[in-house]
Amino acid sequence: MNTPHEYGERVVILGVAESDAHAVANRLIALQLEEHGFTVMNLGVCTPLEEFADAADACPQAEAVLIGSLNGHAHHDLRRLPELRAAGRLRCPVVVGGNLSVGSHKADADLQRLRDLGIDHLLDGAGELVLLLDRMRSALDAELRHG
Amino acid sequence: MADLEGMELSPHVAAGLPGWPETLAHLTAPGRRHAVDVLRTAEACGRPFVQPRCGVGGHRAMLRLLGGLEAAGPGMLSVTIDAHTRLKKFTTAESLLRANPADLNGYPLVAHGWQRGRELAEAVSVPLEVRHGSPDARDLFAVAVASGITSFEGGGIGYNLPYSKDVPLARSLQDWQQVDALCGRLAESGVVVDRELFGTLTAVLVPPSIGLAVIVLEACAAVREGVKCLSLAYPQGGEVHQDIAALRAVRTLAARYLPPDVEVFPVLHEFMGAFPRTPDFANALILLGGLVARLGGATKVINKTVQEAFGLPDSAANASGIRTARLGASGILDFVRVDEDRVAEEQYWIEREVAEIVEPVLGSGDLLTGIEAAFRRGRLDIPFSASIHAHSRIMPRRDGSGAIRYADSAALPFSGATSAFHSERLRDVHGTPDRTLLETATADIHYFLSQEDALLPHDTNRERDGS
Repeated sequence: MNTPHEYGERVVILGVAESDAHAVANRLIALQLEEHGFTVMNLGVCTPLEEFADAADACPQAEAVLIGSLNGHAHHDLRRLPELRAAGRLRCPVVVGGNLSVGSHKADADLQRLRDLGIDHLLDGAGELVLLLDRMRSALDAELRHG
Repeated sequence: MADLEGMELSPHVAAGLPGWPETLAHLTAPGRRHAVDVLRTAEACGRPFVQPRCGVGGHRAMLRLLGGLEAAGPGMLSVTIDAHTRLKKFTTAESLLRANPADLNGYPLVAHGWQRGRELAEAVSVPLEVRHGSPDARDLFAVAVASGITSFEGGGIGYNLPYSKDVPLARSLQDWQQVDALCGRLAESGVVVDRELFGTLTAVLVPPSIGLAVIVLEACAAVREGVKCLSLAYPQGGEVHQDIAALRAVRTLAARYLPPDVEVFPVLHEFMGAFPRTPDFANALILLGGLVARLGGATKVINKTVQEAFGLPDSAANASGIRTARLGASGILDFVRVDEDRVAEEQYWIEREVAEIVEPVLGSGDLLTGIEAAFRRGRLDIPFSASIHAHSRIMPRRDGSGAIRYADSAALPFSGATSAFHSERLRDVHGTPDRTLLETATADIHYFLSQEDALLPHDTNRERDGS
């Protein structure tokens, strides 16, 4: 795993989707990221997508916007992503994780619906989050070097 | 804003209320049994009674629910309020009530109005308590009192931080100050309102001294306004000695920090975290809660149900939960003794930690300002806060016995001895290889689920959804 100072300060924006007040996972993920040296801008529970966009505007160096959703309403809460992107906002990768649709059996169609909104990465659990951020960062650095 | 004896109200709520003399006459009618009477009786007999959480949207359905649960032998019943009413969205609650009352996750008392509230109170022979989760409960309290309901849960910290993202503590503390001041005026008129304080907080791995410190501060704030009766609630954490110690500490802390003319009743909330899924294990945990409440000297215990893992319980499951918790608190388990030395040691540390947390706040001048400032600086803090007005930097962890300790007490003003005690207790579980913070915290949260898996490994009753 890359140590943060290889990249300088690493910043991520974190929060829970608009209709969701589950605070426990959010707090634990923030601590885990801080343990790995990230600076976490934690917007907390019940955060509308517009507030994620405002935070990304205020913090252009953020590597990713990380949105948790545990109540199954991810699609509804994130439905305005295409609109915001069309307006030039939330250009950094958007990662969504948690329990992504109502019910205990996830259909591929539920996940595809989220990808169709333009969500870059979907995660079941927070275990792979740091790994994903490191991979995204390496890919971006390679692109900058060769591009 | 309209005004009810100094408590500010929304004008349209105030307009629907009966006059204050009418409310007082109703509350003081001869023969009326208030919550405080039931609490005193239980206190005198030394055995806790059981109270369920319960609330449905429709009035007829609520009457049926209360009637069904009364048969299971609770000492008090609850009117649990729906989420819209908690946030003062009374018109939303009213339109849902008209369209489909089943969509409400509780009883919208303000939308139904005080006349129906009185019907509820008079339909059963035990007193009612209003349970909710509102950072600003003034309108709801006015309707509850007009309904003849004299037990009301909540406080400016415990009903803000776990429930709201961005309500400033100064705001919620002042709004609850008005509720408490009205209780003070009622006490002067001979009506003692039982004010229950929610030390349960976010209900996930709450270290006992945090929950108790919060309710000690809320209790001091309430008493200052004239409140005379307090039910102080602690959530069962899962380790029996620690839970018994915390319940006993409620009494010693009350004796230390509250005036002697205030009546205090310790309350146990049966385990509020991730609940076992098999009816068998769930029932064992419900029974255990009743026993812990009795051993800890609680006056009442709020029961759980076998449907806890799956959502709000139906009436039959709730009635069964009441009966099982009653059995746990009953004489059939009176032979049970615990290791009193172990309980005494836990109690010593809980009382010491609470003192270290609350005494700087109590000595800081104005109480409400002091509470707000302490949260701003992280000298007061709660784990897993939904609100941005707590740092939420403290990290709880279970030790090898299952007791909840501080893995990180962040900016809490603990002495070296207290910090050393917690590090010592966590020495065996610290540094478990190959486990991230996230994994250890998840394992601690799933404490009873792991025991269920270990004890009932082949049970086919259980459905895992993986969350």
